Order: sequence, then structure tokens, then C-alpha cells
Amino acid sequence: MILDVHNVTVAYHRKPVLWDIDLTLQRPSLVGIVGPNGAGKSTLIKAILGLVPLASGRVTLFGQSCQKQRRLIGYVPQRESVDWDFPVSVLDVVLMGTYGGLGWFRRPRRAQRDWALECLRRVGLADLAGRQIGQLSGGQQQRTFLARAIAQRAEIYFMDEPMAGVDAATERVVFELLGELREQGKTVLVVHHDLRTVAEYFEQVVMLNMRLVAAGPTCTTFTHDNLAKTYGGRLGILDDAAEALAARERSV
Amino acid sequence: MSQKHGYWRQNYGLVALLACAAGCGATANGAAKSHSRGVGAVAGETSTAKHQYSGDYPMPVAATTGMVADLVARVAGRHAAVTQLMGAGVDPHLYKASTGDMAKLNRAAAIFYSGLHLEGKMGDSLARLARKKPTVAVAESINRGKLLEVGSDRYDPHVWFDVALWSETLSVVEKTLAEFDPVHADDYHAAAAKYRDELAELDEHCRRELATIPAERRVLVTAHDAFHYFGRAYDLEVKAIQGVSTQSEAGLKEINDLVSFIARRGIKAVFVESSVSERNVLALVEGCRARGHQVAVGGELFSDAMGKPGTPEGTYLGMVRHNVSLIVKALK
Amino acid sequence: MIDYNTAVVLAGTSMLGAGAGLIGTFAVLRGRALLGDALGHAALPGVCLGFLLLGRRSLAAMLVGAWLSGVLGILVVAGLRRATRIKEDAAIGIVLSVFFGAGLALSRYIQTQATQGSKAGLDSYIFGKAAGMLQGDLLWISAAALAALLAVVALFKEFRLVTFDGGFARVQGWPAASLDLLLMGLVSLIVVIGLPAVGAVLVAALLILPAAAARFWTERLGMMLVVAGSFGLVMGAAGTAISAHVSRAPTGPIIVLVGTCLFGASALFAPRRGAVARWIDHVRFRRRLRGQAMWRAVYELIEPRFPAIRPIAIDELAHRTSYTPAQLRRVLRQAEMNDLLIRRPDGRYLPTAAGLAQAARVTRGYRLWERFLTEQPELTSTFARLDVESADSALSHEIVAELEAALRAEGRLP
Repeated sequence: MILDVHNVTVAYHRKPVLWDIDLTLQRPSLVGIVGPNGAGKSTLIKAILGLVPLASGRVTLFGQSCQKQRRLIGYVPQRESVDWDFPVSVLDVVLMGTYGGLGWFRRPRRAQRDWALECLRRVGLADLAGRQIGQLSGGQQQRTFLARAIAQRAEIYFMDEPMAGVDAATERVVFELLGELREQGKTVLVVHHDLRTVAEYFEQVVMLNMRLVAAGPTCTTFTHDNLAKTYGGRLGILDDAAEALAARERSV
Repeated sequence: MSQKHGYWRQNYGLVALLACAAGCGATANGAAKSHSRGVGAVAGETSTAKHQYSGDYPMPVAATTGMVADLVARVAGRHAAVTQLMGAGVDPHLYKASTGDMAKLNRAAAIFYSGLHLEGKMGDSLARLARKKPTVAVAESINRGKLLEVGSDRYDPHVWFDVALWSETLSVVEKTLAEFDPVHADDYHAAAAKYRDELAELDEHCRRELATIPAERRVLVTAHDAFHYFGRAYDLEVKAIQGVSTQSEAGLKEINDLVSFIARRGIKAVFVESSVSERNVLALVEGCRARGHQVAVGGELFSDAMGKPGTPEGTYLGMVRHNVSLIVKALK
Repeated sequence: MIDYNTAVVLAGTSMLGAGAGLIGTFAVLRGRALLGDALGHAALPGVCLGFLLLGRRSLAAMLVGAWLSGVLGILVVAGLRRATRIKEDAAIGIVLSVFFGAGLALSRYIQTQATQGSKAGLDSYIFGKAAGMLQGDLLWISAAALAALLAVVALFKEFRLVTFDGGFARVQGWPAASLDLLLMGLVSLIVVIGLPAVGAVLVAALLILPAAAARFWTERLGMMLVVAGSFGLVMGAAGTAISAHVSRAPTGPIIVLVGTCLFGASALFAPRRGAVARWIDHVRFRRRLRGQAMWRAVYELIEPRFPAIRPIAIDELAHRTSYTPAQLRRVLRQAEMNDLLIRRPDGRYLPTAAGLAQAARVTRGYRLWERFLTEQPELTSTFARLDVESADSALSHEIVAELEAALRAEGRLP
């Protein structure tokens, strides 16, 4: 059992953001989390990671609480969550991914630097290593975060909208990265914003709208009905999603 | 319908509160006015007859510093109860009147203060009160020619250290009390005359004692510049770290210059003050010690405040004697 | 030879400034700079209580009281933020005013006490009294500065992580809240030690000015710490030196004024991030664009009848580009001086061989970019840079060759 989310409710001043979420993940897979804006997708990730307090419920990762398993977790937060004017370079940020293994007071050494540069190479940012992060484009910033997560050498990765507002090149990089991680037997949970690419990227899908609408393999779960239940009457999106489904079915 | 009611119900309390406050203010003002309106006075008359006391005895009188309070108390005797605003150890340059103080001032029939900006932060309040009742700045009654100027039209307010000069303020206190309360005018004149004699004796005592200090040791170094009148009256050179008002922060240059001065002249002792922080003086001592010159702290002088009430230093006479004996012992 | 007193104050304010610069860097980056201000004000009731409980001679009692009451203030801010809907800035404002008000009331009460009221010099805690620094004070200041230095050096990576991305830090298992509290504790330590020197009102400036000024000089946190610490030290030292030579100059405010000058100079004159540098950069950039536009216009005017070269009038260039003749005149003069253009007696310009080559180069670069962006619109944000003249430096050879082939086919390759 990789992930077990049991009866989780998260509320902000009595208003529920997540309500009675029950979710399990048995095998390593690529999981896409979708839902309308404000559905609680980001909050779900933060709740699992212990970044927001649970009003009720319990989360275990590989059978233990998240705090005990932090060595196995990789995290890519939303781009807006940091101040990009902070005086650090791209390499500095990626090195932060290695801090987990260093312990108190120790500084990253040659080994950590080499590993960080390797991670940067994986995402195609090796020649920007010395650049201050505020000088990067949106996609490059996102890739920096990804490199940092890779540097964590985790077993399970949580990514919060990694492809939102990025250029096509970055999106391609992320997609390839997801594939690599999958091949290595890792689990990746991704909050995704673009319904049209869900079927292409993810083998499992979690459909969320404050409650868990549906969760399971994409081919069986990502249906028109479930989309309607998740998104309500937003016809435009449904049509696009239906298009994508139909296209995939045709290609199979 | 209910919304409108609710609005008024909510605000009724506020309106009631405001009404009470206004009422109380009016009552207080009314009381003060009735005190200062004398028997037979007509509203609107601006003659001195307007300011005459017509209440119970002892008269409530307010004074700011201990020196002024002592002065007024000696002249008024048992006919007045003098309330002193600033206690022992309080710095009048920095003193801000609290609500309690304002109440005391409002209750008083007459107010006496030192003046010449000694009570630097009470100026506005005192000016306002002057319009309602006799408010006398005793030091300002002295002939300006005898005062020390410290700037254009600004004078050093520490006049009480020149006993003879301080003695001159007796006349304005005497006159005010006599006009305000003519019933006991004779008592006031008699008390003032007696006190004047005591002050003259004190002045002579000071002169005699201080004359025993050898010429080259006649230097007085204190925390703030309060002793110029003292120095002028009794022939001592006076130096200080802070200026005439403690409101200004001490400058590093002043401390350095003083350290050089003290080391050069071989001065034996410097003095801390009861109403001013001693840090600057201690810094002075350390500085001199670093130059190899041991200067002692000669003692604590009373500068802008007197000692605890009930002790000898709690009266003007006692305070001056204490200062003088301390200075003589330390410098001789 | 420096006077002893000056030396004492110099050492004290320099160490204080350096420590404040170090810790202030993290406070400023965290957006918590005003917490230092709140702390200075929140410390006042502690000072008064220390005085009341333990008597006048105990500077230690008053400083410990100041520290405790400051820390209490921070905890109240944190509590307000967590337990109520009040946001951080309002919470800070509330704590600042309530605590300071309580402190003023207490200090007023002390003032009226019959025993040794003003001896505490409580007013000096509001405005500072650096000139009267004693040797004993140096002990406290150096201890605080040393604590700050040790903490920053030992916990550099932890502080950096927590300040940059608290969420990530927590996921990685760091006690982000405790580290935060430690930083704030150090801030309050510096504030409390700084109270006797510069007073509650100005101590926030000590924390903020060196760090804010340092930000203009570097993009690396480590260097920023060094610069901030140095600026803080210079602030203290220079302020003291000036106050030692000018009559009636209060040391505390002069230190802050020196800091303000440092900040102003940094904001204006720092290379790259300073206002002047950015303005110069901007002017240069616009001039570059103008030059490029002009050469392109030259080429396009000549292109139709190439290889015949005809003279060009300024008005034609102005018509083709978005610039006025006046704006173009300078660029044209520059080109003249570099022998790229010849000015004929009738006022029109003729490109030399070198000039023609220049025009061709600029136009080729422009058209390559144009072509690239038309074919690969999704890569626009990744590659397009206005200040790179030629696509050659940004794109690979194969792509450039492809684009050239396409342009050649259209007859548009210079």
C-alpha cells in the first residue's frame, strides 16, 4: 500500500475545502488530480503532506505517517508560493533538494553539487545554473522546481500544477520526466489543469470537487458522466474533454 | 422597522455616554468658575476683583516642582493646601501631565510654577489654565537683566540655585496670595518676610562654605547644565554633559571634551543628579580612568527636584545645604 | 589617538550594526522587517517592569525584561494570525500600539514615583543614548552580535531554506516553525541590545537599512549577508565618528541618517540593480533598437533595386521606422563617423560597402528570428530575446540552416 487517505476533511473556518476524502494507491503509477478551480486539489496535496491541518481523518504513506517518511517524498509546489526575487541561484535552489540527506549544520559538498547539476541537466537547465531565479521565464522556474524534486531522490512525488502557464518546451520536459519516473517505478501525483491531456499523461485519475467524485484507472474513470459530476454544467470543457477521449479511443 | 429600532438601541448607549461626558465637563468648569468669581464680582469684569478666593480653607493650590511648592507652602502656611505635581526624582524638563495631574490643576484655585520653559512639556496646559485662574510663573517675575540668556530670548530656568535670586520670587508669590485672598494678607506678608530672612542666612552659609574650596579646584561637573546660576552666585566654574534641557541627547563630542578638560585640570570629583540618569557621568568616569586620571563620583546632587518629603532634603533649605556640603567635601 | 569614550561607542555601535545587518537580512527577505519595529515598541513595558521589580541599578534586569516582553509581543502576533482572521500587518500594528501604550503608561507611573523616578532614564529607551555607552554595555553587545554571527554561520542553509520556501522545508522534515522562532528570537535580541543605543523608535532602522541597501549589490544570499553586515558596521562606525566631532550631535539619529545615505546611494548607484544603472541600460537598449531599425530600413530601401545602390533621405527612413528624423539623426551621425554611411551634399545618405554589410547582417538576423517565431510559436517565450541581434547565437546550426533555406526560397535572405 503506497498511499492511504482515510476520511480526510479539511476546513477553513468551518467552510469545508475537502470533505470526507477516501483514497488509496496500491501500486506505483502516474496519477492526475483534476477538478474545477477551488475544488481543493492543491489542498489535497498539502493535506497529505501535512502542510495544512486536518479537521478529521488520517493519511499514511507506505504504512507510516508522512513525518516519518519524509525521506521518500519529493515535492513540487506551485510557482506562486515563493518570492522569485530571493537572492539565490538556480543551482542553490536545486541543492535545497539535497538538504534532506545532510542533517543539521552541514553544507552541501562536491557530491551534492554534482548531483544537483545532473538534475539540472535532466530538465535542460544546466547552462542556467548560475542565474538568479528571478531572471528565468515561467517555464524555466517550473523546471527548477522539478530539478529540485528530482534531487530529493524520492519514491513518491507530489506536484502542484507543474504545467500551468508554461511554454510547450517545458511541458514536453515535464511529460518526459514523468515517463522516466514511471519507468523507475516511482509514484507521481500531479495536480493537473488541462483536461485535454489527462488521458495522454496519466494512467490513474482522481476527480475532485470538494468530495471525491471518482478515482481509478483513467480509461474507466475519466468518463463523460464523471466529468459532468465533477464540473457541473461547464459545457465548453466537457466538449473538449469528450473530444480528447474520442480521439484517444480512435487511436487505440 | 426592527432594523431602525436596532440602530438606535445600539447607539443609545453611545449617545448617553457622550451626553454624560459633556455634562461632567461642564460641571467641572462651572465649579472652577464659581471659585474664582469673587464676592460682588460681575460677569465680564476684568479687574483684579475677578480673581478672588471665596471657598473653604485651606485653599487648594497646585505647584509643579518641589522648590516652588516649598516656597508657596512657606508663604501660605496653614491657609493653603499645596499639591505638588512632580515628586522627588522627577525631571521637570521631560514631565508630561497625566489626566490625574490635569484634574489636580483644575481643582486648584491658583497654580504656581517655575516658568522659563522648565516645565517644557506642560506649556500649553498652563497657558490654557492661566485664562481661568491665577497661574504664576515665579521665575519669570525676576528682572530679565539678572537672568542668564541661552539663546535669543531664551533663559536658563534653573534660577533656584542662586539663593538670593530665588529669594526675589518671594515677592510675586506674596503679592498674588495677598490679592487673591486679602483676608489673610497680613499672614502672608509676615511669613514671606520671615522666609526671606531664612533665605538670606542660607545664602550667606553657602558663600562661606564654598569659599573654603581652593581656587584651582573650583569646578563643578554635572550631568546636565543646571548649575550656571549656582556657579555665577558662588564663584564656581560649571561644566555639564547634557545641555540646559535634558530633552536633548548627550553628544559624544561633549563627553570627549569634558574628559580632556577633567584630566587636564586634575578635577577630583564629578557629580550625578537625582533626577537624571547617571549613565553619562559614569561614561565620563570611565573615560577619565582610561586616561589614567582617577575621578570619583562626588555624590548625588539634587538638581531639578528635591529629596523625599519628610526628610531634611525634602525642603528647599535642606536641599541646598545638602548640595553644598556634598560639593565642598568632594572638591576640597 | 581616539578618545576612550569614542572607542567604546565605536566598538559598540559597530558590533551592533554588524549583528543587526546579518539578522536583518533574513527579516527583510521574509517580509518581516516591521516585526523589528514592533519588537522595539513592545519591549518598553518589559523595561519598565524590570525597573519596577528589580530596582534602578540593574541594566540587566531591564534588558531581560525588554527581551521577554518583546518575545511575548511576537507570540501574540503569531497567535493573532493563527487564531483569528487578522492579517499579519494588522496584528503587528495592534501589538506595537498596545504594548507601547502599556509601556508609556508604566513609564509615566514610574516617573511620578517618589523614589528615583527619572533616574531610570526611561525616556532614553525611546530615543537612545549611545554617547553614554559604558564598558559593561560592550559585553552585552558583543555577546548578542556573536550569537547572531554563530547562528547565521551554523544554520545558513537551514535559514535560507526556511526563508525561501517554508512549505518545502516542512515537507523535507525541517522544523520550520521553530527555525522561524529562532530567527525572530535573534531579531528580538538585537532589538533589545540596540535599545539603549538608538532607542525603540530607531532600532527598526538598524535592522532594515543595511539589508535593504545590500540587496542592490548582489544576487547571492551569502554575499548579501556579508554586505549587510559590513554596511551595518559602517553605519555604526561612521555615525559615531561624526557624532564625536560635531557638537550636540545625537549619536543614535546620526547613525540612522548614515544608514539612510548608504541606502540612497545603493538604490541609485549600485551596478545593475541601481536606478542609474538601469536607466543607462534602458537608454542603451533603446538606442540599439533604433540602430537596428535604421539599418533594416536602409536595407529594405535598397533591396528592390539591388545591386544598384541609391542614396537615402532621412524622411524615407523616418517613414519606414517609427522614429522621427530628429531621433534618427544621432544614429546616422554615429554611422557616418564609423564610415558606414556617407553624407552627400544634398543631405541624403549613401551606405559604404561596410555599411551595406552591416545592413545586410542586421536584416538577416531579424528575418531569421521572424521566420523562426512564425514556424515555432510555442517556443516564443523560451528563445526570443530582444537584445540578441542574431538568431545564430541562440539557435542550433541545423535550425539556422533550415531557416536560411526557407528564406532563400522566398528570395528574402540578405
